[in-house]
Amino acid sequence: MSRANIQNNIRRLRFDRDEMTQQELADAVGVSRQTIVAIEKGNYSPSLELAFRIAMEFNSPLEEVFSYEATEK
Amino acid sequence: MLYHEKQSYLNIFSGIIITAVFALIVYNKQMAGLIDVTGDYRVWGYLLLIFVGVSVVARIIIQIIFHIINVIATREEDVPKKDERDKMIELKALRNAYYSLSGVLLTMIILLALGVPINAVFIAFILGGLITEIVENSSQIYYYRRSS
Repeated sequence: MSRANIQNNIRRLRFDRDEMTQQELADAVGVSRQTIVAIEKGNYSPSLELAFRIAMEFNSPLEEVFSYEATEK
Repeated sequence: MLYHEKQSYLNIFSGIIITAVFALIVYNKQMAGLIDVTGDYRVWGYLLLIFVGVSVVARIIIQIIFHIINVIATREEDVPKKDERDKMIELKALRNAYYSLSGVLLTMIILLALGVPINAVFIAFILGGLITEIVENSSQIYYYRRSS
């Protein structure tokens, strides 16, 4: 569960969605609330499928929900 | 604390208790002269089979009791379903357990090569199994803590 270079806007998107709770989002995409907490904090990078499910829940393109920052080698 | 985290603590605790009780019973039987674990290899096979059977039954009972207590304490009747993060943590913990078990088997081979009595090797094997279980469940707790 290493900290990844993937950032996300889930907190903001939830806020824009009438303060959608983490539990509501978790139920909508079929994971536990703790998994949503971990993703929001950047402690867990979701699978591609889960990332798409979250994006679809917010009716947003994937790149609006998640972004990747490449590190220099 | 998460349900799966509590379950890991329970697995460590029950593993230690079951192994300790089993060791005590075998020790008492050996001292009373009812069995001879120093000479007859078949005794070890017989003891390990009983240990596995009793251990499985005891764990099922402990899990049922834990679930009942958890329902009373948290009022959450359903066992939380494992999602992809849970499965990822489970896999990583299993990998660590595999490394541990490999170490245990290697230790057994070294002990045999050094001419250590077979009963000591079997004791090392049982202890190694317990250590592997502790490694697996501790890993799960660690990964849950780290990613939350």
